[in-house]
Amino acid sequence: MSVIPDTVAVARASARTRAARDWRDLVYPAVAIAVLLAAWQGASVAGWLRPVQFPPPTRLATSFVELVTEGYPEGIALFTHVAITLQRILLGYAIAVALAVPLGLVVGRSPALDALTDPVASFARSIATLSLLPLAVVWFGTGEAAKVFLIGYGCFWVMFSNVVAAVKSVDPTLVQAARTMDVAGTALFRQVVLPAALPRIFSGARVALGVGFMVIVGAEMIGTIRGLGALIMEARTFYRTDITMVGMAVIGVLGFAIAWGLERLEAKWLPWQARESRRGA
Amino acid sequence: MATLASPAVPATGPGVETARSRIRIDRVGKRFATDAPDAPPVLGEVSIDVRENEFVVLLGRSGCGKTTLLNIVAGLEAPTSGEVRVDDEVVTRPGRGKGVVFQQGALFPWLTAAENVAFAAKSRGLPSAERGAIAGELLALVGLAGAEAKYPFELSGGMQQRVAIARALALDPHILLMDEPFGALDELTRIEMQNELLRVWAARRKTVVFVTHSIWEALVLADRVIVLAARPGRIVLDRAIALPRPRARTDADVLRLYESIWGALQ
Amino acid sequence: MKVSRKALGIAGAAGVLVAWELSARFLWRDAQVLPSPTQAIASAASVLTFRELAEHVGASLWRIAAGFALGAAAGTLLGVASGWYVPLARFVRPFVEILRPIPPLAWIPIAIVWFGIGEASKVFVIFLGAFFPIFTNAWRGMRSIPPVLLAAARTMDVDGPALLFKVAIPAALPDISTGLRVGFGLSFGILVAAELIAAERGMGFLVMNSRMLGQLGVAVFAILLIGVVTLVADGALAFGLKKLLGPRGAR
Repeated sequence: MSVIPDTVAVARASARTRAARDWRDLVYPAVAIAVLLAAWQGASVAGWLRPVQFPPPTRLATSFVELVTEGYPEGIALFTHVAITLQRILLGYAIAVALAVPLGLVVGRSPALDALTDPVASFARSIATLSLLPLAVVWFGTGEAAKVFLIGYGCFWVMFSNVVAAVKSVDPTLVQAARTMDVAGTALFRQVVLPAALPRIFSGARVALGVGFMVIVGAEMIGTIRGLGALIMEARTFYRTDITMVGMAVIGVLGFAIAWGLERLEAKWLPWQARESRRGA
Repeated sequence: MATLASPAVPATGPGVETARSRIRIDRVGKRFATDAPDAPPVLGEVSIDVRENEFVVLLGRSGCGKTTLLNIVAGLEAPTSGEVRVDDEVVTRPGRGKGVVFQQGALFPWLTAAENVAFAAKSRGLPSAERGAIAGELLALVGLAGAEAKYPFELSGGMQQRVAIARALALDPHILLMDEPFGALDELTRIEMQNELLRVWAARRKTVVFVTHSIWEALVLADRVIVLAARPGRIVLDRAIALPRPRARTDADVLRLYESIWGALQ
Repeated sequence: MKVSRKALGIAGAAGVLVAWELSARFLWRDAQVLPSPTQAIASAASVLTFRELAEHVGASLWRIAAGFALGAAAGTLLGVASGWYVPLARFVRPFVEILRPIPPLAWIPIAIVWFGIGEASKVFVIFLGAFFPIFTNAWRGMRSIPPVLLAAARTMDVDGPALLFKVAIPAALPDISTGLRVGFGLSFGILVAAELIAAERGMGFLVMNSRMLGQLGVAVFAILLIGVVTLVADGALAFGLKKLLGPRGAR
């Protein structure tokens, strides 16, 4: 009988240390961030930090309000910048994914096509997407199309490589098992290869979205005044470092939110994936 | 008490049943394309006749070609020479009533237990409602009632293999080919699964070819044990076991058989 | 099999080049819209001496070397330290996690504010690009060391700094090297962007400047050059890491 209370005690103790660790994981970072913000504010008030380089946190807060209500440059509110940037990303990303997934599936299933395209694909991926900017401008003008093209290019090659790798890494015993059940041809592809490849396709989709985000910020810094990338560059030109910093924070939050949304989508669509395996991918 | 608590299954050794070859392995040889030309082949010239409802165990060390032989029977690999006939028809491809259970289950991770079983039932062309019923029935047969909606990653290794067996049965195959299906399980689960398999086999008679490297497993399960040696893969012992089941490891006959199989493996 | 795979790859690349060359010369017939590869090389040769070219490549490589070296050193050091010493992670990781979703390119304006338009701002942005993946992978590598490995070492009386340097870090090396590869690739993408926006030398500048001068051929040449240099540098890093890691690096 004495065993049972002991087990309970041990379980309680371990539950306690787990709870204790959670507590510290939350409070320590909060304290660290609060201390940093306070020091930043204090140093600004004391005049140790130049406001042009390090506008104090309180200033950033009022700038945020200004950006939301009045906008920067005047008349272009934060919401507009966000909407424009999002629209560009989503359009380029959607086109890239729509092209890369079917192509990658076909190429991944065929060793010959894979061998044929592999060097071209790795070279295309090695070209820094933004260096294509001059070509994009010549081909598509200075408007939206050029930006969508750049995002599409960057996302496409990342996505394509990931889809090919996903199909190639499908466990061959799953395919064998399906064949023992008289499943072959397109049914094999649809019912076995595709679902088996989906987790890696999804992780490729996440990486590609990160690439798209990076490309758009860079692309918007050149020759436009609308969009988040343009916002932070334009603000710098006029020594509005506060606006630049707020813009960076918005970009960060947006990127985080999109990545989070994709992860939720993955959890919903791929419920068979154990949580940690999704993290590790 | 060393008696294994397996359910009573009547022996079907040679002569017990009217002999009719279900699987005829006829001088099958296999050489891999990557082998050196002068190296001995993975399978020399192996011939085995498996009778209807016979439980044959292929036993041997790693590399003796037993899995290759099983894959050839399944139609997953082609022999370099010779042929395999199932019900007088030459095997050229997998499927067509040959159920296969793989070592690691090979369950589809994106399907639940019931969906995995239903997947196999679907390939028989059954309508959707019937598939669900069969899946439930077979999962209950392998002792997994209640786990229908679980994904493979939520199941233990032993439970995954139970699903794999149910899935193979859902094809309603004449023959069941099993490639070290319990090889990755711990000893206790393994003994449980052997008993389960015998129970299922008693309920649904099938011709079984079962690959293992465990002598005990062979002795507990088989109507007939065939011991293979490596390079070239060849039969060194073909012994019927007419002992009634359940079989105790301490039984004098079982121990004698153990010794002779061990001898053949040397 | 291996030879034929390689041959197919060469055939594929050659096919793309030939198709590009032919369509540019006979379909588009306008080197100001789509210069063919040979036209691109010819126009580059006409305006650039080899020496100038080498200077541009050298300037870019120097920036990468500096930014990546700093990012790799800081990322590995902090990542390993916070992976090993949990209280440190509680202070370091929040800042990393907050800053990580900001794409490195978004730091360009603030880098210019802080460091001016000279070399330092470019090196800083490249540093950031390298730092985040290297830190994250090093930290994760340290956290995912199988506990049994550390326990085994302790039974052999290995503890303290020896446990860290002789057991933990070697165990985490494959993850660290993955981070280094990712960070290196990112550095290159960022480098070019940084040079596009503000520079007077380097491969990215070459692309941008050619556009201003209306020499699209030179721009195309520079784009291809960026691809080649990236591939070669990445191959060199992969080779070096493989030497360092042995067969464990193969992944």
